[in-house]
Amino acid sequence: MSALAFAIGALLAVTCVVFVALPFIREPDPAEDRLDEPGALERRALELAEERDRALSALKELEFDHRTGKVSDEDYRELVGPLRARVAEALRALEPQAQSTEERVHAAS
Amino acid sequence: MPELGRAALALCLGLALYALVAGAYAAKTRRRRLARSAQNALLAAFGATGVASIVLLAALLRNDFSFTYVAEHTSRELPTAYTISAFWGGQEGSLLLWLLILTGFSAAAVALSRRTAADLLTWVVPVLGLVATFFAFMLVVVSSPFDTQLATADGAGLNPSLQNPYMMIHPPCLYLGYVGLTIPFAFAMGALLARRTDELWIVATRRWTLFAWTALGIGQLLGSHWAYVEVGWGGYYAWDPVENAALMPWLAATAFLHSVMIQEKRGMLKVWNVLLVILAFCLALFGTFLTRSGVVSSIHSFTQSPLGGWFLGFITLIIAGSLALVITRLPILRSKTRMESLVSREATFLYNNLLLVALCLTILWGVAFPILSEAVHGEQITVSSPYYNFFLRVFGLPLLVLMAIGPLVAWRRASLRSLGRSFAWPAGLALVVGAVLLVLGAGSSWIGLVAYTFCAFVLGSIGYEFVRGTRARRALTGGSWVAAFVELVGRNRRRYGGYIVHAAIVLLAIGIIGSSAYDTVRERTLAPGQSLAISHYVVKYDQLVRRNGPNATEFRAILDVKKNGSSVGTLESGKNSYRAEDQVSNEVGIRSDPLTGEDLYVITDQINKNGTIAFKVFVKPLVNLIWISGLVFLLGSLVALWPSAAEQRRLAARYHELRALARA
Amino acid sequence: MAAVLAIFLLYVSVAGGTPSIQPSQLHGRTGEVALVGKVTGAPAGDAHSAPLRFRMRDVSGASASIPVVYRGSVPDLFKVGREVRVEGRLQNGVFLAKKDSLRTKCPSKYVAKKA
Repeated sequence: MSALAFAIGALLAVTCVVFVALPFIREPDPAEDRLDEPGALERRALELAEERDRALSALKELEFDHRTGKVSDEDYRELVGPLRARVAEALRALEPQAQSTEERVHAAS
Repeated sequence: MPELGRAALALCLGLALYALVAGAYAAKTRRRRLARSAQNALLAAFGATGVASIVLLAALLRNDFSFTYVAEHTSRELPTAYTISAFWGGQEGSLLLWLLILTGFSAAAVALSRRTAADLLTWVVPVLGLVATFFAFMLVVVSSPFDTQLATADGAGLNPSLQNPYMMIHPPCLYLGYVGLTIPFAFAMGALLARRTDELWIVATRRWTLFAWTALGIGQLLGSHWAYVEVGWGGYYAWDPVENAALMPWLAATAFLHSVMIQEKRGMLKVWNVLLVILAFCLALFGTFLTRSGVVSSIHSFTQSPLGGWFLGFITLIIAGSLALVITRLPILRSKTRMESLVSREATFLYNNLLLVALCLTILWGVAFPILSEAVHGEQITVSSPYYNFFLRVFGLPLLVLMAIGPLVAWRRASLRSLGRSFAWPAGLALVVGAVLLVLGAGSSWIGLVAYTFCAFVLGSIGYEFVRGTRARRALTGGSWVAAFVELVGRNRRRYGGYIVHAAIVLLAIGIIGSSAYDTVRERTLAPGQSLAISHYVVKYDQLVRRNGPNATEFRAILDVKKNGSSVGTLESGKNSYRAEDQVSNEVGIRSDPLTGEDLYVITDQINKNGTIAFKVFVKPLVNLIWISGLVFLLGSLVALWPSAAEQRRLAARYHELRALARA
Repeated sequence: MAAVLAIFLLYVSVAGGTPSIQPSQLHGRTGEVALVGKVTGAPAGDAHSAPLRFRMRDVSGASASIPVVYRGSVPDLFKVGREVRVEGRLQNGVFLAKKDSLRTKCPSKYVAKKA
């Protein structure tokens, strides 16, 4: 085994091991080592946010389709009402989440 | 130096294993530093694989024949470019390329998603680690590129059929595609493992999937072009197992690209999407395995290849593991939304999915049939072109129609009256085109005529979409048509990029239909001075010349070509006889007509001792549209891939403001 | 719908498939088959005019050889000792091959070479 190959190999191995151990080297004694994980509240909020985005994009798309002529005026009139209601509902559903978290924080402090 | 290569690969194996085990443990017990450490291991694995790759490349470039791999796949007189391509020319090297791309992509995915999908990433890392462990294991234990031998004076050389520019780009392009599909798979599994039901995994990997799918598509097109121009048997696709090996994951990925849009718009089909990405990934693994081990020819060669058993075992493990995971998560994945109408864009996407998956499974059946029949009957029964072509028509023609209808239909529900109005122009155009083609003589193949009409329908509908969109944009903001067009596409990159890709597929279809349903073939043995008439050409065999090339003796028949009576130049067609490898290759002569896109294709079948030559001549109309479609395909993908600041902001808002909310 | 497709696939592949067999298994079979084996003896004739005549035996080399009559394109890799595949049927002890169906198995990796 040539000396150069050995040197490169050793360097590589050491670098990799150090890199892998880096988080432990940097924080040998951290205050907390827990991984953040979306709690039930956050998951629900995410679900609602996705629903909100879906409703918003559906509305936007309906407008676009109407403007380009894919959806006729009659169809547009029929569809836009329920869609707008859906968006409003989705936005409303997200509000209490924000409110309830703030309320809890206020209550705690 | 080979010891360095071996050590680097062993190091990679250790790192991948650590990423798998430590990553899984960290995700399960929610340990931050350990999770970060596992991520770093994945990044480091890329470094280690990189070093191993450099060792192999260096050995190739300095013709170090003490490496068995170098001796088996290169020779001293091999041009440098092909020496480099020998990296992936053999089994061990191509596995190393797979691992290099895999660790590279994993590192990139980790780095790019660290902030936006941090908790999802904790489970993605062990999945990526698992796949990397498998390939590293194969390279360290089963099939190493760093085996050594007593250095020989010269190497065996590269198979002459692989000595062309395609060898430089076709395999790496395909590998980018195959490996690329690992990322969406890992994120999907990560989401399931984390018990998530949101679409972060789709959003995070959308561009990866698009990139991998594009690479697979372009890679296959390159392979077809290679077969057409270099291998020279007269066609571009033979439904060979290795060709199908790349087509199948591409079809599954196409289905997936469409069905995720349904999940995005309506929140439906979560289970279907996960199953599709599993299918695409497993087919990519299967494809790698097929191409590398020559398995399908016989069940006996399968058991003889050392790779075969391991690969099949790994694929089985992946299938079993991922399906088990899906089944356990089924309750939370089931969505409450129902499809409202059979006439809606979701419905057309669903039909499109069913057709694509059906075609994919049909091809899979055809590929696996010989092995299955041998296991059952003791005798291999193969199916060939007629079987595949039949199903291509059965599923392909409806798919063309769907491509036309899809864009014209609205989401959720389309009333028949708006549908009728939208259809009018494109359908009208299609009928006119069909009638014109009938008059021009396309009725000789009624399937071709029907297919052409459908193609016109699609192109009409795509054109209509662009026109309507630009007109609406212009009505909104004023300005020139061009500005409105650019703005339209810029604001709706996925939609219009998608339309461009559809246009590319239609061009591909037209090229395929033209060159298969309307082609002409003539076979004749000619003596010098004699000619052959085909379609509107007259081909005269002038003389046979013999030249000495760098590593082969070249025999060329000089042909004089006349089109519609007037001379259009000469064509050369012949064979190369490779000295070192003692092999003969076909060098076909092709004359492409720039106006009509048709090819005059001349194969020198047999050069007889008395100076006569047996020729096989084709006229293939519109065949060059196939290659042009590749460029359009690339353009469409680029448009769809192009990142949009507005979209990034919206997604960041969705996934970040909630965390801030929760933490507040 | 999946069931219909499955049944259809089974039917089409069973009806449309061609069995791949070796010369030793040829005896007594009358249908169209794909014969796989090694080229043996000295090929004579010209596939483009007078037919090409050669013999094929099992890949493992054990059996007696079968005479084959072939017309059409001949792959460049075709020579004695090469593994080939050709479609056709057995008639009067001679295998009459289908035109242009001769294929060779590439000695190294990758696909079978076509004519």
